[in-house]
Amino acid sequence: MFKELDPILHSQLRLAVMSLLIGIKEADFTFIREKTNATAGNLSVQVQKLKDAGYIDVIKQFRENYPQTTCRITPKGVEAFEAYVKALQEYLKVEK
Amino acid sequence: MEHEKEMSPQESLRLIEKMIGEAKKQFSENGHLYLIWGWVVFFCSVSEFILRTVFHYQYFYAVWFLTWPVVIYQIWYLSRKRKTTRVRTYADRLIGFVWLTFVILAMLLTWILPASTAQVVNVMPVVLALYGMPTFLSGIALRFNPLVWGGISCWALCIATIFIPVNIQDLCVPVAMLSAWIIPGYLLKARFSLHHAA
Repeated sequence: MFKELDPILHSQLRLAVMSLLIGIKEADFTFIREKTNATAGNLSVQVQKLKDAGYIDVIKQFRENYPQTTCRITPKGVEAFEAYVKALQEYLKVEK
Repeated sequence: MEHEKEMSPQESLRLIEKMIGEAKKQFSENGHLYLIWGWVVFFCSVSEFILRTVFHYQYFYAVWFLTWPVVIYQIWYLSRKRKTTRVRTYADRLIGFVWLTFVILAMLLTWILPASTAQVVNVMPVVLALYGMPTFLSGIALRFNPLVWGGISCWALCIATIFIPVNIQDLCVPVAMLSAWIIPGYLLKARFSLHHAA
């Protein structure tokens, strides 16, 4: 039996965000936007979905009078990401 | 990545690989503090040696007070960098704690070793061994070989003190600064400029 792929992660932009954050302690919104080539609006929506799932923490603060949004992967997010990769590997094994 | 697309497992893995590669490329170390500290310690150690051996000046160690304003500058620099940095990696955090451990160990050992005995203690091998630790570990964490070799060179100099007369062992410090902090510092600066120009 295949493990079902996590629908939260099985989306191009959300998976890109999670893959970026998995190797970084934290990154600001602008950095993620540049690396994923997403629009601010679309990224905001997807980041909110990841936050609602408890996969990332979103910290909003002011730095030198400018708003800054920082994203950080949570332990639940790491677990979900690892499970997702494991499920992908099972799919690929069968396809070979 | 404007719209959500249905991805195949291969596409998902490719995307993961690509984004992890992007994260790995993130390189925030510009070598600035290595250069500042490298040159300051180089200058202080050479000056101390000259004051002591050429001028026979009683307060030859006073030159090290120059490090105090550098500490203040470093606090200001790091707080400013913290405010402007866009990405913080696990390696950055680990390296920060490695250097903090180095400062604590350096203060404890250079203070306790002479204080714990009535005899005159030569702390130079300890100082050189200590310089090697954060340099080597930072090189490993940043995957930057010049720092790894810089750390190893400090340990080689530590061993070399066995064969070097005590009165000129102070000169091992500027040599260690060149190989461990100054040369890798310039190479880090060059790598940072290259990365950010791309």
